[in-house]
Amino acid sequence: MKRDGEGRSKRIAAVCLIGIGTVLLGACNSKEEKGKNLIEAEEEEVQVVALFSPMEKTDPNSDNVARNAMEQTVCLAEEKMGIQVDYITYTAEDYQDKTYDEVALDRVRNNMDDLYLLNPDTILTLGEEGLLMDLSGLDNAKDLREIVKTANTVDGKLVAIPQEVVAYGLFVNKDMFDRYDLALPETPEDFLECCRVFKENGIETPIGANRWWLELLVFAIAYADLYNGGDTEAQIAALNSGESRYSDYMRPGFSFLQELIDRGYIDAKKALVSEAIEGEGPDFLAQKTPIVMAYWGAANADTAYGAPDFDMRVIGFPSSRGQMPVMPMTGIAVGTGSEHAEDAMAMLDVMVSDEALQMYAEINKVISPSKNVEVECIPALKPLNDKIKEGIYVLGSNAGMKVEQWGNTCQIVRELLEGATIDQCMARFDQLQEEALRDQ
Amino acid sequence: MEKKQGRSRESRGHTLLLSIILVFCILGAVVFSVSRKLSEEMSASAIQNLSESLDLIRCTIEAILKNEAEFQKLVAKEIGNAEDPERYICSYEKNQSMVKMSLILSGKTEGVSNTGDVFTEDGLDLSPERTVDGLQVSRSYVNYMGAWAYTMKCPVEKDGKEIGSLYIEYIYDTLDRSLPSGFYNDKAVLYIMDAKSERFVLKPKGMGQRSAGHLDLTDFYRANSIVDEELRAEVAACLESGKDILFYHDIRNVNALNYMWSVNDGTVFLVGYVPVEAIQQEGRTVNQNILIVVVVMLAAFFLCCILYYLNQRQQEKIRREREKERELHNKQLAEALQAAQIASGSKTTFLSNMSHDIRTPMNAVLGFTTLLALDADDPVKVREYTKKIMASGQHLLSLINDVLDVSKIESGKMVLTVDRFTLKDLVASVDAIIRPMAKAKDQSFHVEVTGIKHDHLLGDETRVDQILLNLLSNAVKYTQAGGNIWFRIIGLKQRSSQYEHIRIEVEDDGYGMSQDYLETIFDAFTRAENSTTNKVQGTGLGMAITKNIVDLMGGTIEVFSEIDKGSLFRVELGFRIPESQADEHFWEKCKIGRILVVDGDEEVCDNIRLQMKDTDVQIDVAHSVGEALEQMQKGSCKRDCQAILLDWELPDTDPIRAAVKLRECISDTVPVFFMVSYGAEGIEGAFQIENAKLLEKPFFVSALKEKILEVQAEQSDTIFAEEGADNSLEGLHFLAAEDNEINAEILTELLDIEGASCEVVENGKLAVERFADAATDEFDAILMDVQMPVMNGYEATRAIRTLKRDDATLIPIIAMTANAFAEDEKAALEAGMDVHVAKPIDIELLKKVIRQCLQRKGLRNET
Repeated sequence: MKRDGEGRSKRIAAVCLIGIGTVLLGACNSKEEKGKNLIEAEEEEVQVVALFSPMEKTDPNSDNVARNAMEQTVCLAEEKMGIQVDYITYTAEDYQDKTYDEVALDRVRNNMDDLYLLNPDTILTLGEEGLLMDLSGLDNAKDLREIVKTANTVDGKLVAIPQEVVAYGLFVNKDMFDRYDLALPETPEDFLECCRVFKENGIETPIGANRWWLELLVFAIAYADLYNGGDTEAQIAALNSGESRYSDYMRPGFSFLQELIDRGYIDAKKALVSEAIEGEGPDFLAQKTPIVMAYWGAANADTAYGAPDFDMRVIGFPSSRGQMPVMPMTGIAVGTGSEHAEDAMAMLDVMVSDEALQMYAEINKVISPSKNVEVECIPALKPLNDKIKEGIYVLGSNAGMKVEQWGNTCQIVRELLEGATIDQCMARFDQLQEEALRDQ
Repeated sequence: MEKKQGRSRESRGHTLLLSIILVFCILGAVVFSVSRKLSEEMSASAIQNLSESLDLIRCTIEAILKNEAEFQKLVAKEIGNAEDPERYICSYEKNQSMVKMSLILSGKTEGVSNTGDVFTEDGLDLSPERTVDGLQVSRSYVNYMGAWAYTMKCPVEKDGKEIGSLYIEYIYDTLDRSLPSGFYNDKAVLYIMDAKSERFVLKPKGMGQRSAGHLDLTDFYRANSIVDEELRAEVAACLESGKDILFYHDIRNVNALNYMWSVNDGTVFLVGYVPVEAIQQEGRTVNQNILIVVVVMLAAFFLCCILYYLNQRQQEKIRREREKERELHNKQLAEALQAAQIASGSKTTFLSNMSHDIRTPMNAVLGFTTLLALDADDPVKVREYTKKIMASGQHLLSLINDVLDVSKIESGKMVLTVDRFTLKDLVASVDAIIRPMAKAKDQSFHVEVTGIKHDHLLGDETRVDQILLNLLSNAVKYTQAGGNIWFRIIGLKQRSSQYEHIRIEVEDDGYGMSQDYLETIFDAFTRAENSTTNKVQGTGLGMAITKNIVDLMGGTIEVFSEIDKGSLFRVELGFRIPESQADEHFWEKCKIGRILVVDGDEEVCDNIRLQMKDTDVQIDVAHSVGEALEQMQKGSCKRDCQAILLDWELPDTDPIRAAVKLRECISDTVPVFFMVSYGAEGIEGAFQIENAKLLEKPFFVSALKEKILEVQAEQSDTIFAEEGADNSLEGLHFLAAEDNEINAEILTELLDIEGASCEVVENGKLAVERFADAATDEFDAILMDVQMPVMNGYEATRAIRTLKRDDATLIPIIAMTANAFAEDEKAALEAGMDVHVAKPIDIELLKKVIRQCLQRKGLRNET
């Protein structure tokens, strides 16, 4: 018995000694090699394309992960194509800075980058200037919905492809509406009534606004009939030929906006210097403001209005035809003077493929521009989604209209906020229409 | 003592523990101190490393700015020399760094640019404090290309007179190309910040929330949770004064060095952070290695502790085992001593008993011999004395036999002589001995046999007999007069088809035994001691012998007893069943195929059925004579019944009459066997019936067979055997080989008394020679001693059997020897002797044996 125990102990000790010996020998081993170039060969230069996009302010301590669904699709494209994307970002610090759109125009015009994420007005402007590549030849362009193609086709060229069909709507605090027995507004009159009740109940400014999105209220009223009356093409043709005037369409919307400002339902001064969501978002989430306007994606989880403490609904803007979603088309474009135009086209092709768009739509729960991609939306977005599915909406931008809508209207709304009269604003539209007719 | 040792061990354990803790503390302190020193040195090294890197970047940027300024001065000089400066400007084509060139001539507020636009100084925010190589530098702004840019202003002179100012716009993207790619392996973050606006004018181009960069210093603070007001104030002061600042601040829980590095006297700053890990890559390896060394050392230390502990445990275990072993040995020794003392005591007692037991009959022998010598002329007294001497001698003999048995058992020399025997003979022989003993004490002796399937068995009959006689004689001895003794043989369920499993029970309602005595009943030299049993003679060896024989046979023995209520001995034995019955076709030969049993006891009937199960004989059962007659009336029974077993004690029935009635129904040749118990009265009448025999209870097949043979022998007028006939040796002549003269004389005298004559030779050789020379039938038998000089009895027997004489194989040779053990008997039979008779000579036994031998010889002669 004792012998067994001693034997075992000896064996264990022997194994340990061998182990320690091995470790020591390993430690003594040296990798130093003399007479050899110690610098590793430089890696081959990687293919790079530059993408110009807006930059969101960074959250404290956030991980360095893809900021949004678009970046996920960029990752996919990088992986598939073996091309690296360099991000060039810009965000105006305040209203005195150049806007993103202005900088985007400058950068495209000076061929600073390859891919650009552009807003509707810049798409039209740059498209008309012939600075954007025709993307209709991309493999994945054929799967795009017609509405997308229509909105982004300038002079027969598909100049930008979006990754989502951006739909704007009114974000309302249903709890507050219920508190005052108010139905969600369908028409401008309903909307005014709701604002009146809120105001009377001590809510100083019922509508939270910024300098970018008040035009949506105008679009809904202005073009509700144009896009939903059954003779859209004829009416646009009339506008393009000068038979009809944009100011005639725009006047009711501007008047309605003026009334909202006059009655104090919108704080015009604050709106004029407020950036999107930054200005009005906190009050809305704090339930001080019952109504704001924003794009579809803002309602999704982990976004601006993703987790409110109240029953939030996203509805269309008031119009004579009821609640009306407004859909401007953003898009990614490739500059004609891009240094890496081919690579950029290839990358974009992957970014708008069904696989990428499926990923994008699933993350953001948005309407996909591809006919082949469908995802379920969150409950809060159901009213807006129902309208879109019914085919009831107004386009915020339309490349088929000779007068650019999204940027110009935004600018003219700002003028209204600054104190211009409605007539002055309408005169601006007439001027723009005349310039457009002259350019034809 | 043990407590003291325990305390000492505990104290040693505490000391060891404290030592271990101390070693750990010292080791920990050393490791901590080394690590700390290393960490401090590495930290200083990291700061130095980063500072040097940032200095290098700063120098690079400043060199670029200086080159730009110098180049601008050259251009300004060229413009000064140009005939049309404005035309010169317009002809300039932008390049990667100088993206716009403008000129405002002295005295004017507007000028021209190479882009074709009108140029003014508005919005450029040129300041005399912000210069590069003496040229004023504007604050940063987003230029017409949408890129962050700055403009340097340079006076244009012609002939020593300033004619205007040259403005050249540079973009920060140019600097990007001169910055290190993958700063600290892409783990560091580097921005260029315009000091005045605190806007980040050159950012990383990576993707993601962090790598895509921050907007400005405020965004940088927020994103990296730099909230310490004091720190921010210090940073602000550094920015204001154009000094560098470097501080530790955790970025997302990772220790990092944050920096604001002034470039061009604070015009722009390098801003960012580097995780300390990224700078101290080797530091981590060093720390890891230190950790590995510490872990290995700890592991080795623990291993040593474990080994030490295991060793100690092993030692402790061995010590305990040894102690246990020692205790066990001591216990065994004590037990052995006790056993030896008990044995010694027992043997002393035994010797004392033996002394008493031997001296008593010896006293009688010697005493009566003395008296015999005195009263030799009085035949009555002589007869009485010799009778008493004989009794005392018999008792002495049994004592000697028992002692020898025990001696043999203890020395392991006892062997079993397995041979064929019948239970009938066993029961009969036991019955014949015990019943008279019981009767003498007026005790009732009951014999019961049930459930036996096989009568013929293989085993050592003598030893079984010994067991039964020991048990039964004890029962008789230790049961008061008028008591009951039951002797039961019970056939148990067979465990194997080859073995008969038998239980033997001997029960009495005698004195019984105490529980204490029961525990030692099977030990040698013990005897139940009480006032009653002390009167009983015995060696105290009987039960020990019995137990040993039972063990030897692979059986079990149990005893149950209660004082004054009686005892029950239960022995279970297994006997092999002979493979082939010698009389396999017995029933066929005897032409018996059907037997009628007339018995009122159902159990007896079942027993008969069971025993006859293996034969082809059909057993009909009738519980009364009436029933038997009824069956007889039936044709088949009447026709086929070849024997009748009739209970002598049928209730309310005269067996003779019953037999007569039954005889009327069957042929006179059909035998009738009266089953009688011992001591049955009026059995003489049974012989009046023709072909009738008495069959003793309990029923055994072998007994029935014998009776059938007897009947058939009588019927064929052949005298097969003369049971109970005279054993007289009258007229017989024997050859005796005996070397001891006294024994030879005794033998001669005894045979002479019986009317036989004897010729004695002194050894085996002479016996062989004498027989060889003898005439045919001169001797009736040879009485052969075994231990003899010249030639022993075995050799002589073998020699006789090989003689070429007709009677060499037939002459009965009877071994007469003091070698009385079973193996001696076996050896005698193997040597060719017919039978073994132990000395001292029992004349009655001798007569019986001689008769049997002669009968066999006669039968052999006939065949």
